[in-house]
Formats: sequence, C-alpha cells, structure tokens
Amino acid sequence: MSISTAPTETSPTRLMRAGEGAPTVLDVRDLRVTFSNDGRTVTAVDGVSFTVRKGRTLAIVGESGSGKSVTSLAIMRLLPEHSARISGSVAFEGRELLAEPKSAMRDLRGDRMAMIFQEPMTSLNPSYTVGEQINEVILRHRPFTKAQATEHGIAMLRLVRIPSPEQRYAQYPHNLSGGMRQRVMIAMALACDPELLIADEPTTALDVTIQAQVLDLMRELQGKTGAAIILITHDLGVVAEASDDVIVMYAGQVVEQCSVEDLFTFPQHPYTVGLLGSLPRLDEKRDRLVAITGTVPDMAEPPSGCRFQARCPFRIEKCAETPALAEITAGHFSRCWRAPLETLVP
Amino acid sequence: MNATAAAASGPIIEVRNVAKSFVVKRSVFGRPLARLAAVDDVSLALKPGETLAIVGESGCGKSTLGRLMMRLIEPTAGQVLIAGRDVTRMSHGAMREQRRHVQLIFQDPYASLNPRLTIGQTIAEPLMLQNIVPASQRPKRVAELLEMVGLRPELANRYPHEFSGGQRQRVVIARALAPEPDAIICDEAVSALDVSIQAQVLNLLKDLQKRLGLAYVFISHDLGVVKHIADRVAVMYLGKIVEIGTADEIFGAPRHPYTRALLSAITVAAPPSLQRARAARLHGDLPSPLSPPEGCRLHTRCPHARPACQTVDMSLDVEPSGHANACAFWRELPPQDEASRIREPRNAKLELLFGAFEAMAAETAASAAAKDAPVAGG
Repeated sequence: MSISTAPTETSPTRLMRAGEGAPTVLDVRDLRVTFSNDGRTVTAVDGVSFTVRKGRTLAIVGESGSGKSVTSLAIMRLLPEHSARISGSVAFEGRELLAEPKSAMRDLRGDRMAMIFQEPMTSLNPSYTVGEQINEVILRHRPFTKAQATEHGIAMLRLVRIPSPEQRYAQYPHNLSGGMRQRVMIAMALACDPELLIADEPTTALDVTIQAQVLDLMRELQGKTGAAIILITHDLGVVAEASDDVIVMYAGQVVEQCSVEDLFTFPQHPYTVGLLGSLPRLDEKRDRLVAITGTVPDMAEPPSGCRFQARCPFRIEKCAETPALAEITAGHFSRCWRAPLETLVP
Repeated sequence: MNATAAAASGPIIEVRNVAKSFVVKRSVFGRPLARLAAVDDVSLALKPGETLAIVGESGCGKSTLGRLMMRLIEPTAGQVLIAGRDVTRMSHGAMREQRRHVQLIFQDPYASLNPRLTIGQTIAEPLMLQNIVPASQRPKRVAELLEMVGLRPELANRYPHEFSGGQRQRVVIARALAPEPDAIICDEAVSALDVSIQAQVLNLLKDLQKRLGLAYVFISHDLGVVKHIADRVAVMYLGKIVEIGTADEIFGAPRHPYTRALLSAITVAAPPSLQRARAARLHGDLPSPLSPPEGCRLHTRCPHARPACQTVDMSLDVEPSGHANACAFWRELPPQDEASRIREPRNAKLELLFGAFEAMAAETAASAAAKDAPVAGG
C-alpha cells in the first residue's frame, strides 16, 4: 500500500492526499461510447471522467451492463471502429490516445499499457507454448534476440511465482491450472514494465484461495514497478482489498467516486448503498438481504433525469432532473440530489 | 406442506459412504487405465426443512456429490436413500417416480431453459410428466407457481429470451417447485447473477423454505452466500469432506486448516482501516485429482503440515456437538487469531438506509400482489 509511510495518519482525507502527489498516468475526460446497430443507438458509456495516478489502483465497480468493460476497451482503443463511436478525451502520459493512429496504438499496447482479461482459458492461444506467447510480446516491443527474450520471459514467470519456470516455458496453456494461467497472463502483461495495467475481472474465474494469491501478487508487483492499475470488477470485496480509489458505475454513468475508505465507511449514492446491503454479511446473520427492486434500465432508451430513480427508495420530484456528479465531502463525489445521505435518517 | 410420512420421520436424503470415480483414460480394448475419484467415501444426511451447504473449490467434487444425492449418476460404491428408500440400484421408472421428492437447480439460467418452450410450458412439463395435476387444472397451477416466485402470471406465454438472468432463475425455481418436492439441490444457483439480483433470489429461496418447509442442499463456492443461507455446512477438498458442522461452528470456530484458509481468503467489503490481519494462506495450486496426495490430501498446501501428515488417514474426528473435521492434529493447531476473525462494523445510519431499501422491496411486492390477485383468481 502506498500509505505505509505514515502509519499514524489513517483518516480518509490523509489517504487521498497521499495519492495526490503521484504523477497522473491516465486522464479520461467526458468519455462517451455509442454503439449503433440496426438503427438502434445505445450509449454504453455516457460522460465518464477520472484520473489514475502512478502506483495507485483505481477500481471501477458496476454490475453487468454498467459500461465498466466498455470504458476500459475504449481506453485501449480495442472497440470495433465500424460500430463504436468514441468521443471525449483519453490522455495517457500527456498523449491523446483517441487521436493516435492505429500503428501507434499497437506500439503502446503490450508495452506502455497492458491488459489482463477475466478468462485465462480463452486469452491464451492453445496452439502455442507459454514461452512463445510471452516472447511474442517482448520481441514486438524490445530489440532483444530470441535468447534474451526467453531469459527475460523466464524471469517474469519467476516474478509471478510460477514454480520451475524453465519447464513451464516450453509447455502449452492446457498443461497449466487456471490460477497459473492467470499468472502467465500477468507475467505477459508486465513483461515490458507498463505504466498502466488494466485488469478486467482478473480473479472472477478463480477459486477464493487462488484469488487471494493473485490479489497479493498484483499488490506486490505494483509496489515493485509503480504501475498504475485500473481494476474492473463487480466484487466489492475485491475492491476493498485491492484498490485505493473507486468509481461506481450505473447505466453508463459514474454515480460515485471516492477513496476506498470513504466508500465502505459511508457511501453517498443510493445505488452503492443498495449494493453494499445486498452483500451477505460474514460477521452476523441477518434474516434477509437488502434487494434493490427492479432491473437496470434499457440503455437504448435511458430514463431522463436520475437513471437510478425507479429503483431508489429516496426518490423525490427533483430526481426527474439530471443530477451532476457533485463533491459531497472532500474528495467524495456523488450523482444524487439527496446527498449527503446521512441527512435522510435521524 | 408436502412432506411425506417417510420423509417427516427421517432424513429426506441420506448418502452412506458413497464414492464416485470416473474413468478418464481407457486402453484400446476399453480397459480402464486411469480413474478420477471425484467423491471418496462421503456420508451425509439432509434433514427436512434444513439448508445444508456443500462448499469447496472447483474440482473438489461438490457438484458430483449433488448429483449423487439425487442419483442422477450412480455411485461406484455406497448407498443413496431418498425419503427413506434405498435408490442406489433402483430401476429407471421407479427412480423417476422417486425423483419427485428432490429437484435440482443449475447455475446457468440461460442454458437450463428450453428456448422453444414458453415458460408456462416449461413449468407445466414436470406436472405432465409426473401426472400430478390434471390437464385442465395445469394453467391455474402454473399461475400459482409463477406468483410464488414473484413473477406475474400473464408472463406464462413468453419465451425465455424475453427475461433477464434473475427472472429466468425464478422460472427455473418455479419449475423445480412444480412437483412439490421435499428438497431442492441448488448447484451454484445464484453464482451467475449480479449481487443485487442474487440478493433477490436468495430472499426468495428463504421465503419459499419458510412457506413450504423445503430442505435445500446448497452447493456453492461463495462462502458469504453460504453463511447467509445455511444451517449446516460441509467443506470438501479433493473428493473428501474435511469438516462438517453448523454454520456457526464452521464460521465461528473452524477446526480444519483448509476451512480456516478458505475463510481467510474471503474478501470483505469493509474499509481498509478495518481489514483484518491476513492469516496463513494456502500455498501452491490444487494437486491433480487424478493422483491425490497420500495421507492427508491437504498436506502439500497446508501451512501447518508436518511429516506425519503424509501417512494419516482422513477419517472425521467427531466432537460431542456433532462438529466433525478430518485434521488428525487439529487439537494441536495454533488457536485462531482474534485479529483474523471477520468483522464488518457498520455505521448505524447506514443500516437505516438499508432499511429504506427493504421497505421499498416489501412495498413493491405488496402492490404487485394486489395487482395480480384478480388475474390469479380468475
């Protein structure tokens, strides 16, 4: 954790400040992604802004269809250009990625910015050895000979704690377990020492004990390399353990943005409150879970005003107007007319 | 509600020393060369009205055990009793009759509904196969079942693709309820759903249990969900039960190092300043189930392993309370650190905000019921 230098200062505002000194790696402003298909237009991401700083982990949380994965694919310019229209600004170390030619993006991806996907089974090519696939990345971006690439690749496997990496290098993905494949993916993503790592549900397909190992590993490697990480997940437990800052997405918009400490101490958007309440508790038995009624809105025709209003118990007339993402307390933003929410209860 | 006399007196499902091994490799002449022991010498009983959870990581045999419990597959060894009758070698026809007592719900609500049938037809299918309800009464019964799972009866004519994942899982539950079972085996029934939808389905399962006196076998890898719903928990590792006890025993006083490691690996949605200290992690990966380690199967990954662990057998040590575990040296393990216990202190005001969501859910359910009443009656 980046805050360990000052063990006595643990208040949320201090935590936020600790990260503010670090240089900005990625600055996303008003990102909008629209898909057109058969005359239907869906705005999957609607005006998302955030920054990621060196050595920090930003978690993007949301349920299926909230736009969190599309956001990450838009940053990497991995969306199909014929159907996705992207607007806004994505500045990576001062370069505007949305204006870069494709060839420049290919040079960046795998080198300065890398991505890990959810399914370690499908993101490795079954017909090439692990070593060939890692070498491919290194040789694409570094002026290494094949022998040098292999040496570097084996060192990466050792770094992610794969036992007997020399033997594993010559094996095929099917010879490895799920946890080991995900570690190969991490080794491959980190092979060129990227400034930015986007991890899209990196532990969702893994068992809990392996998930714990992978999360520990990502933290440890971040300490060594100082990479900025965007962690995309639906799992609030993973957010709590593995990130510094959070944005919560609902129906394509950021509805809450703050430090992890603030989010779990007292969330300021009703959707986040509902999400937290719907998690089964481990320290006590409650009879019923908090369920958010209804379902996410149809993104082809998003409701006007607040997009959560139909499912919100705190709805008022004002909610028919679109709320802005406003700062409620220092560094804690919420897109809700009724925030601060603690004023709603005695 | 529909517990038969046999089931009311004893366990609904009982498995005695069941084992199941699959042949994974054969010689050219069909002689088995390699076997995978998916479930190895397991005994369990499901009492009426209780929820028994089976937890463990992928490959531990929990789903195979679930299938053995309703005898969807035949055990290699041991006995399976459903509603007091030994069904281990029962004929296909008699088994179909007996299967009425136990129904199964799968993980993927997209794969478990036939896309060519309306959901009304889907739910009516068990009624027809089991011939429980006369044909003229079936639409009425389907409407009742839909209401029971919180769907409007007029949706009966729709097809599965018109429903969301959570709604489909409700349809699957309605189909499972159709033959009036005593028990439902839920195999990762909520794992594919988003958390807010998962909460809706878990609440529904609990309500149905209260209303109908159902027993559940709840197979899951998600310990948070298990803690919420289970009365008793069995923890499996590589085909063996390593610990079984009440939910309070398993979560409050875990004995086996594997159970402790599982609990310490759960991520907790709490502020970082309140996160618990990290207990010992398991190291390495799951060994191949084709050649499980000798002795205690956990010894290759256990932080407390000692040389003797390579030769001990994994018989359960049963305490007077019924809490049983398979660690030969559990009495000598270091006591569980107070700091590693799970604590999620919550702001009282936040609890009040949760209350507002609960009130809204109750109100929505009430108004939906009021609107549906004339339809269901007519």
